[in-house]
Amino acid sequence: MPTREELEVVALSLKVSFWGVAWSLPIAIAAAFVLARKRFPGKTLFDAAVHLPLVLPPVVVGFALLVLFGRQGPLGRMLEPLGIVFAFRWTGAALAAAIMGFPLMVRAIRLAIDAVDARLELAARTLGASPVRVFFTVTLPLAWPGLVTGALLAFARALGEFGATVTFVSNIPGETQTLPLAIYTFTQSPGQDAQALRLSILSVILSLAALALSEWLVRKRSGAVPVHG
Amino acid sequence: MKALAAPLAAALLVLAAPARAEDVTVFAAASLKEGLDAVLRPFRSSRNARIAVSYAGSNALARQIEAGAPATLFIGADADWADYLEGRGLTVAGSRRDLLGNALVLIAPAASKALVKLEPGVDLARALGSGRLAIANPSAVPAGRYAKAALTALGAWGAVERRIAPTHSVRGALALVSRGEAPLGIVYATDARADKSVRIVDVFPESSHPPIVYPMVRLKGSGAATGELAAYLAGPDARIKWRGFGFRVPPP
Amino acid sequence: MVEVDIAIRRGDFAVELAFASNAPIVALFGRSGAGKSTVVNAIAGIARPQRGRIVVSGRTLFDSSRHIDLPPEARRVGYVFQDALLFPHMTVGANLAYGERLTPAAERFVERDRVVALLDLGRLLERRPAGLSGGERQRAAIGRALLASPRVLLMDEPLASLDAPRKAEILAYIELLRDELKLPIVYVSHALEEVTRLADHMVLIAEGRAIAQGAVADVLARAEMRPHTGRFEAGAVVEARVARHDERYGLTTLVFDGGELVVPNVDALPGEPVRARIRARDVSLALSRPAGVSIQNIFAARVVSISHEFGAIVDVSLAIGATPLLARITRKAADELGLAPGGNVHAMVKAVSIDRRSVGFA
Repeated sequence: MPTREELEVVALSLKVSFWGVAWSLPIAIAAAFVLARKRFPGKTLFDAAVHLPLVLPPVVVGFALLVLFGRQGPLGRMLEPLGIVFAFRWTGAALAAAIMGFPLMVRAIRLAIDAVDARLELAARTLGASPVRVFFTVTLPLAWPGLVTGALLAFARALGEFGATVTFVSNIPGETQTLPLAIYTFTQSPGQDAQALRLSILSVILSLAALALSEWLVRKRSGAVPVHG
Repeated sequence: MKALAAPLAAALLVLAAPARAEDVTVFAAASLKEGLDAVLRPFRSSRNARIAVSYAGSNALARQIEAGAPATLFIGADADWADYLEGRGLTVAGSRRDLLGNALVLIAPAASKALVKLEPGVDLARALGSGRLAIANPSAVPAGRYAKAALTALGAWGAVERRIAPTHSVRGALALVSRGEAPLGIVYATDARADKSVRIVDVFPESSHPPIVYPMVRLKGSGAATGELAAYLAGPDARIKWRGFGFRVPPP
Repeated sequence: MVEVDIAIRRGDFAVELAFASNAPIVALFGRSGAGKSTVVNAIAGIARPQRGRIVVSGRTLFDSSRHIDLPPEARRVGYVFQDALLFPHMTVGANLAYGERLTPAAERFVERDRVVALLDLGRLLERRPAGLSGGERQRAAIGRALLASPRVLLMDEPLASLDAPRKAEILAYIELLRDELKLPIVYVSHALEEVTRLADHMVLIAEGRAIAQGAVADVLARAEMRPHTGRFEAGAVVEARVARHDERYGLTTLVFDGGELVVPNVDALPGEPVRARIRARDVSLALSRPAGVSIQNIFAARVVSISHEFGAIVDVSLAIGATPLLARITRKAADELGLAPGGNVHAMVKAVSIDRRSVGFA
């Protein structure tokens, strides 16, 4: 049976990962749509920027976040009067998780949008639908499985996120000590391997639950599989 | 894993040494980086041996050695991890000595006007204001453990326990203060000297924490070259350099 | 009324043409890749011309000189695509409703019940596109386009991906649409059979240009048509009316301005106007009227011109009264008969060769 502290760590991890994915999902959809459907100067650069967190060492990303969003950082200073603070808070952990998972989300969603026959969108427009309406009534429903996959991938990445988190918001129990950080701390202290193992098992259970949920979500909209011809 | 470790390590050593004098591999605590690099420079150029140095947290290094990493010399940041290696029979008997000492200091960003006197009953919480105290993880990293011990001795730990920002390593704590993200931090004196964007607010009394020593010990399987290096690191030429970096040097 | 006058580039291909038509159906006919779909895409607003004007029923959809370019959703153009393009994640009913719901109530003039009945969609409403046959999908696509109350209906090779029975089925529905709804239709096809059956006005398009346009019968008789009609397709279209039925022999007599045409039974009432397509290769010529021969249709005709384009084979353009006819015979026969422009001959057409597919309703 998990102890109260262990449950708090799990709850924090879930909170951080969930909100990280939730906040970045609309942005990922927009980025994926633009990459899939639009042509514009600098598109390659934009694509590369989106994939940056995938190729950079997590610690480097964490440091970049510290420089930009820390209390002394330009963006951090801009957001503080608005009540948005990332430094040393769970919001910062969520931001780190969101950034690290972002490229995975965009890739999956972009693939799904690519697979939607663009002529269906044109057909919808001839029927009187504005481009925005076409997006929400045709493109998005048909890309739904890709959306769920992307969100799941990002969620799983967020659950396991370590390097960027510890570098950006450090390892504050109850605030930024997510599952991976807690597990690591236990392994670094002699004689606490049992706790590390318990938390690892909880971690696996969470990932499996997320996988099952995504399968259910995709199957629930069973008619969403595009059929051509 | 252990059964494979020794032959693996031996294989690595053989592969890494193509018909040359013996190789020396030093595993050293992260806080020694600038000092050790400088001290090694003249030694390297005058000897025909390859010296490789790996810097990391003492805890990580010790675990790696236990898992069979091919180190020949270990310099840790506290006695515990050297005890750990000795307890597992991985060291050369009688080769251990305390190489260096260090001081524990309270730092602030260079531009800060903070004034704190480190004496029993010090009110750190007030000095922190709304910010956090940057220290290395007190449950895992030596610098963090020293910091917690010192604060406890001064009766300040209870008040700041929930106001800390535990970092991955002592350099992480240094970076937070250096960038101004944390108004105060606790690091080694040598770390503070290395970074121009922090200033030392005060030094923790030596009595408030266990002595900070850097034990040096040779590991099983090391050869004569390692012994020579160890002697040099403790010798008069090196001592002058160590002091230059702010380390305390025990009497010979 | 559909007026189109545009220049538009697609890749390395340039289309530049103009046509105007008041007919219920105007057909854009030509080979694949001639540019027909490009024109229709321009009318729909999916492709933008470099310059020009597109006006439908008095409403300007595009005018480069006045910087008018309505987006597709504002053009009220119904588009039936070659492969239906029904939304796979919606039922047929939801597909039908998609455009209907986006049409302001005041502008709706097409009733859902009427369209469902017209196109026989009742049983299909709850089904998904994936489970439908080609013909069912195409009907649903037509219904969906109609329910958006369009001002003009564009059909881009709607029968191309259907097999013969389905083609006939949908052709019948389109004829019904033409007659029931007062909706101009622009019909794109490379199948002459469809064009002759459905259209009154046609535009022959080749390599991005309109090389002939006008009434179907007239265009068909023109020299420019020959490369497009192939070995089996060349022929003429005769506008006629049903005169009477012969119950005993299962035949129908059609009357046109050149005389009477006997064909196998046509399912139409006396007095109804029809169009009969007579393929050139089914027309034989004789200098004198033969007797004791099985051929039911023999007409006195005048030779208008003779082509020399096919080596062993020539096309002889004839006139029966005011009705053009085409006969394809060997050059040897033409020489032996001494055929020359202005000469008189008898044109003979086997009733059997004018099958059900060749007769459509005008």
